[in-house]
Amino acid sequence: MLPERHSTCFYMEERERIMNRIFAKYFTFMLLVLQAMPESAWALQPHSAPEGLYVHQMSHLLFTGALVYLYMHTRRTPELQSKGWKYLQTFCILFSGWNLLALIGHEAIKFLTPEDFIHAATWNEQIAGPITPVKMVYFITKMDHLIYVPALLFLVIALRVLSREALKGKEK
Amino acid sequence: MTALPLFPAHIVDMIGSGLAIFLSFLALVYSRRLVRLQPNNFIWGFLFYFCAAMAVFSLSRGVGHIVRILLVFGGYGETWRHLSPLSGGFNTMLLISAAAVTIYYHKGLAAYKAIRTEAEKLTDANVKLSASALQLKQLNFHLEEMVEERTRNLSKSERKFRQFFENSKDVIYFSDHEGRLTSINSSGWRLLDIEEPIESFRLSDLFIKESDRKRYQEELLLKGYISDFEVECQGRNGATKHILISANSVYDEDGIMIGREGIGKDLTRLKTITEQLINREKMASVGEMAAGVAHEINTPLGIILGYTQLMMEDFAEGSEEHANLEVMERQTKACRRIVADLLKFSRQSESVKAALDLNQVVDEVLAVTEHSLNIQQIEVVRQFSPALPQVVGDAEKLRQVMINLINNAQYAIGEQGGKIIINTDSTEGFVHISVLDTGTGIPDEIKPKIFDPFFTTKEVGKGTGLGLSVIYGIIQEHGGSIVVESPVMDPESGQEMSGTVFTILLPIYESTGNDE
Repeated sequence: MLPERHSTCFYMEERERIMNRIFAKYFTFMLLVLQAMPESAWALQPHSAPEGLYVHQMSHLLFTGALVYLYMHTRRTPELQSKGWKYLQTFCILFSGWNLLALIGHEAIKFLTPEDFIHAATWNEQIAGPITPVKMVYFITKMDHLIYVPALLFLVIALRVLSREALKGKEK
Repeated sequence: MTALPLFPAHIVDMIGSGLAIFLSFLALVYSRRLVRLQPNNFIWGFLFYFCAAMAVFSLSRGVGHIVRILLVFGGYGETWRHLSPLSGGFNTMLLISAAAVTIYYHKGLAAYKAIRTEAEKLTDANVKLSASALQLKQLNFHLEEMVEERTRNLSKSERKFRQFFENSKDVIYFSDHEGRLTSINSSGWRLLDIEEPIESFRLSDLFIKESDRKRYQEELLLKGYISDFEVECQGRNGATKHILISANSVYDEDGIMIGREGIGKDLTRLKTITEQLINREKMASVGEMAAGVAHEINTPLGIILGYTQLMMEDFAEGSEEHANLEVMERQTKACRRIVADLLKFSRQSESVKAALDLNQVVDEVLAVTEHSLNIQQIEVVRQFSPALPQVVGDAEKLRQVMINLINNAQYAIGEQGGKIIINTDSTEGFVHISVLDTGTGIPDEIKPKIFDPFFTTKEVGKGTGLGLSVIYGIIQEHGGSIVVESPVMDPESGQEMSGTVFTILLPIYESTGNDE
């Protein structure tokens, strides 16, 4: 049996390898999805209009994955267990949620037509009835800042706490 | 519900965008502070780049949202349509950048950890190296002093042990694995009377008994030590020494015996004193017994003698009965003389002590005996100290002592003639008087018995065996002592020769000033 310290290190390295494998698969899958889309980009070929939207959506997914990875990694790294890192983990969760919300919002708007809006392009703009679930989802996702701003607030708190801890450590 | 107003969403969008820009830049400021605090910390570097990407993204997105609302609601929808893909593309690019920074974070962290581990090892090594260098420097600096101090201590220690080795009254010796002496102290030289070179000489060669030699070798070989081993040794001069040896074997790192070291204590004097004490005790007890017997016999002998003499008056002189009674009277008187001698030996006879000159006592005795000695071709040599201190004693008894000694000397010399040397001297509170003869000497085996009552080497009828016992008793009574040596050293040639010397020590008379 290995000594405790060695066995802990071994466990951490193994877990990191597993996580890397999972994310490699995740990004490979994303590339395959891209290949499967008829409208998707081909090098030195003309691209159809929705390409930008697809890329944007994929970037949301990519960022979501990256944040989940950061959350898991910081949670399982023994050196990153201070209070500041707990706030950062909260940020990761909230911002992943925002990414998914934004993605849903972008998808929802595809199902809406100009007729679904009254007084468009004015402060009195409204979603015309009847209010369907898609319209309700769109309305909710329009207020994504309600999750975006708290997420950033946690990021600020996390960095503030970490900087204080670092300062205290340096003073010692 | 017929319609859902989007005004709250627009308000949230406007205010949220502003707050997002503010908060993301605030996070950037804190991350920058972390980097400044610890510029070499990879994690803070990662957080800084992440915050920078987040800040630019929030700025791009927030500005985009605000501009959209302002342009669209301000009637410039067409302008926004031109700007919209640009804003979206920019946001997408920044999202991917932030994600990329995050994705590659773990690789950076792993590299950072590896580097930090190596750096810590290097730091540790540097610290140890510095400490070692400092130690080495100090060591070099003080090396000379340390060498001097250690040399001094070593020399002091060596001197101490050398002094102990040389000044010890016991024998201290070292030998090689075969027992050949490699070093021995001066007491050893003197006591064992050995001569150089010592390298071919074994201590066990001096052992008189073969069994002692065997035991000494075996125990040192098998047990590695031998303690309180009493042996009889014989030096070059032939004198027997009793030595108590404690020794042990010396081994090298491989456990192979490379030598021996030991200490020997001279017990000869102790043994002699012990024998003398035992002898004295024996003589004291024999004296008590003799005194008892003498007292018991003395009275009946007196009665027998009295009645014999009375009966002699009843018979005419010349008659057979008278002649028989004369024999009885003579033999009874002989018995009384023996009894008287026994009483003298046991110090039961009365003494009249006075200060006297021993030279004079010896002269008086020689005046009577010298003629007889001369007839027997015995030369008497007087070596008297002219200023011999007086002793307190019974002149009559001391005369008897001298007579007995001279008689013994005469008997020992026999018919062939010889020499009797009488020496008087004084040292340390005692007067010495010695009577040396050039006779046959006394064998070692009978020396302890010569003072025993009735012990004699003379033929039956020629001696009672009480002469030396009487001397012993008288000398003891005078607070002195008597020792015997045989063979003796010839005072003229210094060579050993057969013969005997009796030396008497008597305490010097110390006048108190009230004697007259």
